[in-house]
Amino acid sequence: MHGSIRKRTIMTNWIHPSLLFILGSFLIPFLHGRVKKAYLILIPVLAFISVVTVSQGTYGVFEFLGHELIFGKVDKLSLIFSYIFTIMAFVGMVYSIHVTDTGQHMAAWFYIGSSLGVTFAGDYFSLFIFWEIMAFASAYLVFAGRQKSSVDAGFRYILIHIVGGLFLLAGILLHYGDTGSFLFGLLEQDGSMAFYLILLGFMLNAAVPPLHAWMPDAYPEASVTGAIFLATYTSKTAVYVLIRAFAGTEILIWIGAIMALYCVMYATLQNDFRRLLSYHIASQIGYMVAAIGLGTGLAIDGATAHAINNILYKGILFMGAGAVIHITGKRRLTDLGGLYKAMPVTLILYMIGGFAISGFPLLNGFISKGMIISAAGHDHQALIVLILLLAASGTFLSTTIKIPYYMFFGKASKIEAKEPPLNMLIGMGIAAVLCLLIGIYPGLFYGLLPYPVHFEPFTADHVTGSLGLLMATVLGFFLLLKVIKPEHHISLDVDWFYRMGTRIFLWFARRPVCAYEGFITEISNTVILPVIYFFARVGLWIDRNIVDLAVNSTANFVINMSAFVRRVQTGLVQHYAVGMVIGIMLIIIIYSLIGG
Amino acid sequence: MIEAVHNSMGYPILSLVTFLPLIGAFILLFIRNAAAVRWIALVFTAADFFVSIPILTNFDKTTFHMQFVERHDWIPSWNITYYMGVDGISVLFVFLAALLGWICVLASWKAIDKKVTEFMIALLVMQTAMIGVFCALDFFLFYIFWEAMLIPMYLIIGVWGGKNRIYAAFKFFLYTLAGSIFMLIGILVLYFTGGETFDIIALMNQKYSIIIQMWVFVAFFVAFAIKVPMFPFHTWLPDAHVEAPTAGSIILAGVLLKMGTYGMLRFPMAMFPDATAYFAKPIVILSVIGIVYGGFLALAQKDIKKLVAYSSVSHMGFVTLGLFIYSITGIEGGIMQMFNHGISTSALFLCIGVIYERTHTRELDAYGGLAKAVPIFAVFWTIFILSSLAIPGTNSFISEILILTGTFGYSKIVAAISILGALLGAVYLLGMYKKVTLGEITNHHIKEAWDLSGREIIAMVGLAIFVFWIGLNSQPFLDIMHTSVVHLLDQMNSVSSNYAAIP
Repeated sequence: MHGSIRKRTIMTNWIHPSLLFILGSFLIPFLHGRVKKAYLILIPVLAFISVVTVSQGTYGVFEFLGHELIFGKVDKLSLIFSYIFTIMAFVGMVYSIHVTDTGQHMAAWFYIGSSLGVTFAGDYFSLFIFWEIMAFASAYLVFAGRQKSSVDAGFRYILIHIVGGLFLLAGILLHYGDTGSFLFGLLEQDGSMAFYLILLGFMLNAAVPPLHAWMPDAYPEASVTGAIFLATYTSKTAVYVLIRAFAGTEILIWIGAIMALYCVMYATLQNDFRRLLSYHIASQIGYMVAAIGLGTGLAIDGATAHAINNILYKGILFMGAGAVIHITGKRRLTDLGGLYKAMPVTLILYMIGGFAISGFPLLNGFISKGMIISAAGHDHQALIVLILLLAASGTFLSTTIKIPYYMFFGKASKIEAKEPPLNMLIGMGIAAVLCLLIGIYPGLFYGLLPYPVHFEPFTADHVTGSLGLLMATVLGFFLLLKVIKPEHHISLDVDWFYRMGTRIFLWFARRPVCAYEGFITEISNTVILPVIYFFARVGLWIDRNIVDLAVNSTANFVINMSAFVRRVQTGLVQHYAVGMVIGIMLIIIIYSLIGG
Repeated sequence: MIEAVHNSMGYPILSLVTFLPLIGAFILLFIRNAAAVRWIALVFTAADFFVSIPILTNFDKTTFHMQFVERHDWIPSWNITYYMGVDGISVLFVFLAALLGWICVLASWKAIDKKVTEFMIALLVMQTAMIGVFCALDFFLFYIFWEAMLIPMYLIIGVWGGKNRIYAAFKFFLYTLAGSIFMLIGILVLYFTGGETFDIIALMNQKYSIIIQMWVFVAFFVAFAIKVPMFPFHTWLPDAHVEAPTAGSIILAGVLLKMGTYGMLRFPMAMFPDATAYFAKPIVILSVIGIVYGGFLALAQKDIKKLVAYSSVSHMGFVTLGLFIYSITGIEGGIMQMFNHGISTSALFLCIGVIYERTHTRELDAYGGLAKAVPIFAVFWTIFILSSLAIPGTNSFISEILILTGTFGYSKIVAAISILGALLGAVYLLGMYKKVTLGEITNHHIKEAWDLSGREIIAMVGLAIFVFWIGLNSQPFLDIMHTSVVHLLDQMNSVSSNYAAIP
């Protein structure tokens, strides 16, 4: 997958799309009105042109602390991901062009830019930097939901992603310790700590259970337009890095399959439809993870194709759901119904996305899902095939039947509705067109995949199999209608564990640790200062009562002595005369005794 | 061997800088008008300062010999000469005394309103005496200047001082006089055993028997220890400082205390190396006690001036510590600290004097929120507090770090305890700063706007310049004293086994 290694700096031959987005975002606050809108669409277009025109090779190599930072590892795999990322950036910007919050736009661009950065990263250093920027930028989009639940969810989101980032960092450093290199590529299946830590870090972003609960927690809370980006970038970037580093890791086959089924089951239970769709993202990623685990050329192609297609049709689904929220303000299926009259175009576009995701022929899901299941079949993993097919059924059930049934059809709720703004519809439309295009003419798409493709999607077997599955699902839906009916409840997932864990941790931090800390902080006041003041008072006492006492006592003694002696000065001359006579006699006596 | 270098200036500059204030005092005898008196005093002290600048700039840093020497016979039958000269150790203090002279006059502009003529005369006479002490190279001359400095100070405290001034003035006078008597005995012993001469240089170049060294060392040491002041001879200082007027405190803290340590440098350390070696350790211990004791006592004070007075005890403890640890870093640090303490503590007293003029109280609790009420003052106050604290960037930092570096080489325990003293400095200085400057305005006097007037700002700027100049670029100052200090250390280390026979 490598072209010739030509060391070029970024600026001379190729403008890294990350630069376009990240640096370009700083200009957004200064623009207004039409200029701003034009700019918002322009940069994604430029970025797309940039990645379409670049030839494969290695760009942007920098020396840093004795290691190479590779910012531009351009090969088929990174190129195809960058195509879809930039296209989706364009679609997303069209969709959100009406948003006036500059912060969201800037955050989205940082997010997109850093995703592209991860895509093109050739070494773990730069990968990690962009990985972290992604986490923070996307957290902003979660916070941008502006409700209390958004803030809470945003906190949980950023905490979990920081933890994931730490796992990744630990893994990277251990990997460096083992191999001495930071180069990003296929990892040795040595089962070392580094291997698992990096896997954990990537898996967390890919929302692999049990590390998945953040996705259905945070995505429904994001802003309407922010959710589009969230749905696209974090998970698919994680898929990309998993393809790069962990292709062929056997355990992923099982993890992926179980993930697909588990998440789709939860998805079916949901009432908040964006939460449903979020669970569903995880389910679809399960397909990709399983394919990565299989590791064959067909499987990797399938994973890549599925990722690309997922971005497109998941985008449509989120855009449609977002449009409904934008118009009605309602997030739950229980609150909605009968919108088909007011929002027909939205409905149609949404259904295109829904059918695409379910794998209807003539839409893109058909060609990629088939690849994965076929790859599993080639590998003689019969159970995997079964699980994946079940999950496909569940997919159709939850996204394409349940949501439209209760949102657009079903019992009409008394809600004012109309078609969403034109830009939203255009965004959805572009994605829908692409879905159709890829579905009808898969050849062009296949040419872009990393490995040469020998897969024929339009076999009679495949088509009938898919349609049959889908029909059976419809039947099942209506049979189980009572059970599937959305209710307003909370479905508790593995996140119970870390919510409870957090609560316990916070109690511990607040009570014992804070009390101890408070004591230490106050020690200067409660212990040390009083001791110092005590010594100060002792010093003062010594000074007053010992030193000065000595001095003053001496002085007083002298004064008293002189007062005593002064009594001799009676003032009477006869006393002085007597004194003189006695004195002279004494001198004579002493002199005669001693002298001579 | 120190010799006398002939005067490189064309004129007797040292005599000029010494006696110019005396001439001014003489002129003032005939002036009655208070305003005129102040201006004339200012002119003469400023002129004195300008005369002292060439001494510093033309100073030859490469030699330890005495410079700008003047030598005339005075009383030949007793070998008393009029002998003036400066070397690297004393030249800085001539400059310091001249600097503080005009600052004192500015500080007492409004503070002294009764008997202004007499006050200025006393101030000018004291200037002469102080500068004379630093320049004198003949013991007789030295003693005259030393004693001459006592009387004006006594008058300044006793006449223009605070409530308890008589007690404080007496205490100061008797303490210092008692010390001086000991010094006189020492001088006389030296005269008779050193060959009937009062010439300091000649006496320095001689060797004395160990008995003589010990006794004369003790005699000198007591005199100077009282002046420094070292523990336990320090109790005159707080009373003198509190009761003295602002100018008196400035000159007392700024110059008089330095005369004590200068005396130690010039006489016992240079002339009696064996005795110095013998007594060095007890003196170091006394210094450390002084540092910590002064610090603790400062903390216990409620009167701002007394607090700063005790901080002087602590800072001068650092000086004597630096002097007796037998290292160039230590001695240079000590001399630098003398100069810096002269700047910082004088500045603190100047600030205190300024606010006392307005509020007539020195109680710590009476103050608060000065930063809001009088911001310009607060700026200078902050600068000088930080300088006293020895914050890096200010002058005292250089000197304290030099002393502590030397002390660490000498004994780690001593250094640790001294650092404790420096820490205490932070406690009481910052505590005082907080009470006085920060917080809410408490004293109703303060609410009236009374920020600094122009002349007060000039005085404070004059000192603040040195705070930062030495703090940021101390090398020129250290260069001045370096050669002389090296020579002094040689003299101290010339502990010999073949000293003169016991007489």
